[in-house]
Amino acid sequence: MSVAPPKIEIVGLAKRYDGSDPGRPDVLGRIDLTVAENEFVSLVGRSGCGKTTLLNIIAGLVAPSAGAVRVSGKPVMKPGDGKGMVFQQHALFPWLTALQNVQFGTRARPLLSQEKKREAEQLLELVGLSAYANHYPAALSGGMQQRVAIARALALDPQILLMDEPFGALDEITRIDMQHELLRVWSSRRKTIVFVTHSISEALMLSDRVVVMSAHPGAIATELRIALPRPRRPTHAEMVALHDQIWRYLN
Amino acid sequence: MTHLGIFVRRPQVQSLSFIVLLFAAWEVAADTELLRPYQFPAPSTIAAAAWETATVGFPEGVRLSTHALVTLRRVFEGFLLSTAVAIPLGLLIGWFPVLDRLTVPVITFGRSVATLSLLPLVIVWFGTGELSKVLLIAYGCFWVMLGNVIAGVKYINPVLIRAARTMETNGVELFTHVVLPAALPRIFAGARVSLGVGFMVIVGAEMIGTIRGLGALIMEARTYYRADISFVGMVALGVLGFGLAVALNWLERWLLPWNRGLEDIRR
Amino acid sequence: MRASTRWCDAALGAMGSLAVLVLWEVMARWGGADPSIFPPPSIAVVTALHHVSIEDLLANTAISLQRIVLGFALGASLGVVLAVAGGWYHLLGNLLRPVVELLRPIPPLAWIPISIVWFGLGESSKVFVIFFAAFFPVFTNTWKGMSGIDPVLLRAGQTMDVSGPSLLFRVAVPAAMPDIATGLRISWGLSFGVLVAAELIAADFGLGHMIMNARELGQVDVIILGIVIIGIVNLVTDWAIALLIRRHLGNWHPT
Repeated sequence: MSVAPPKIEIVGLAKRYDGSDPGRPDVLGRIDLTVAENEFVSLVGRSGCGKTTLLNIIAGLVAPSAGAVRVSGKPVMKPGDGKGMVFQQHALFPWLTALQNVQFGTRARPLLSQEKKREAEQLLELVGLSAYANHYPAALSGGMQQRVAIARALALDPQILLMDEPFGALDEITRIDMQHELLRVWSSRRKTIVFVTHSISEALMLSDRVVVMSAHPGAIATELRIALPRPRRPTHAEMVALHDQIWRYLN
Repeated sequence: MTHLGIFVRRPQVQSLSFIVLLFAAWEVAADTELLRPYQFPAPSTIAAAAWETATVGFPEGVRLSTHALVTLRRVFEGFLLSTAVAIPLGLLIGWFPVLDRLTVPVITFGRSVATLSLLPLVIVWFGTGELSKVLLIAYGCFWVMLGNVIAGVKYINPVLIRAARTMETNGVELFTHVVLPAALPRIFAGARVSLGVGFMVIVGAEMIGTIRGLGALIMEARTYYRADISFVGMVALGVLGFGLAVALNWLERWLLPWNRGLEDIRR
Repeated sequence: MRASTRWCDAALGAMGSLAVLVLWEVMARWGGADPSIFPPPSIAVVTALHHVSIEDLLANTAISLQRIVLGFALGASLGVVLAVAGGWYHLLGNLLRPVVELLRPIPPLAWIPISIVWFGLGESSKVFVIFFAAFFPVFTNTWKGMSGIDPVLLRAGQTMDVSGPSLLFRVAVPAAMPDIATGLRISWGLSFGVLVAAELIAADFGLGHMIMNARELGQVDVIILGIVIIGIVNLVTDWAIALLIRRHLGNWHPT
């Protein structure tokens, strides 16, 4: 049986702080990680464990001090190029409507402009915001803004989707709604996802695999595969056990 | 990267060397008559003229310091006059919404009137003496100050008022102990802009009908074909303006130490 | 806001303005001052129109506006271009910023005599002074806008394959627009004041000159008319700009 090549390959990655004393532990010590195609992987850890830095390095926004990242076999040199990203602050352009924001994501794609518009409309419908296509981001709630942000990232037709605590700024109820939304969208448009969060329960709800990171220097403490079918109930015995396990790793 | 490379990349070095370069180029261009010396005196000529106005004076006997002090005095007198009226008036208008609504059109129009357009009127009514200039500056400063005082009171965080009321602070006490301090940053910002406006107005006002003051200096110098002295006046104004801004910064930091971090107050 | 409250506010406003006019009228009529020096509003406008025709008024207004528009267009465009370029390309910014900061404390009106030395007494000298006045607020505010761009917007753009000049024009500049707009508005108001002063001091046409001329002829009513017209034009143009800004940028911020 042949094994499909990994979508994301991280080998020997390290990141040092810029221009500081050599005694200080690195932002990221040696990191080795692979992510399979269409796999949903979460990075969980305390503040300072380097999970956001790792995500930024995969995205190509930050250069590593050592090691390499490959996406679909190609080394990562710069941002863009099929590496879609969703940020904690929605990062929607306030001067564009929801539809225009999503359409912006289709810029680099080899489509005709009507096709780009239709794609944007379809994505907005996917996230349930067709009625708000002509609204400006300022008129939308936090949850709605993030949904548009997700639609925009999908509009790139990306190779991978990187999400940096996308629901961190939302209230708890909206957050849980958004987790369900994300799963629903993901079932419709499968992508390889790397998801950063500091919420253990969120990671357990969403991922195929949870990567637990430790700090000073940032490193992978352990990886846990979650084989439970979705949607998952947080009160399920195995979920609770996994939660405990991860909690112990983090302390 | 070599040490020299790092040094050259520092922004201050780049800025400084560029300015020095510009001055040097200016000097050369003026000396070689690439720029007409009458229109564009060399920096060295201007420096000499500065010495001249500082010592001998222009017109003879009226030194640079005198001009500067006269200008400053007029600005401050106008500013203080306007503040004396604007603060009490603004506090009242800001506090009582009825007054606010009554005065909105008047204030809106009043501040739209170009201050210097009043110069001829003020001359007709009050002559060409000091009073006219002070009144003109007061007019210009007044509207800015008034607007800011009103805004300072109107847009106080209502939570502060409510909190004070729960602590049994009412009426005049509420006003002096809560409203006034809360409005102070905005009022101070108004004072700064106001002073800046006064500064601008006086320069124009001094160009008509007076020979003392920096604006007058700049104007008179031109009449006598002393462009270099005009430049001296301009530089003096610039230095004065800069000095005022710095002084106000210190004053604000001293008077309102809790205001750190509130730099931009949007209108 | 309910319609009745709005009517109430308008009525109060009208009352306030009326009160001022009435006060003026009363003081002028029964204050004992010479009516040729302190005319009541009821008479002032009428007599002013005896001394200066409507055509003259319109012509002067047109000339003044022309000067402002030209000076403003030049100064504002240069201000935006230099501040955008300087804000984006650090080397350029390091060179430009100190030069601008050195020149900024000099009040625009102080440039009038030198402007006359350089350009003579014609149109160019006035336009130059206005150009100078218009430049600085636009530059400063645009610079502020460029420095204040939320970095997450730039990062988002980068993840969507936008880089270099494209990133500057499609993301950075739009993000800086609110500050640029503020700068433009302030700059316009400033240009107005500067133009009037410049025309008072050294010009042969325009509203400022008209007022100064009227002073020499002792026509206080014309002076007052001129002042009022300038005030109204200033107000109307400022409203127009504010309206434009609200319409195009109003959607950006949560209401």
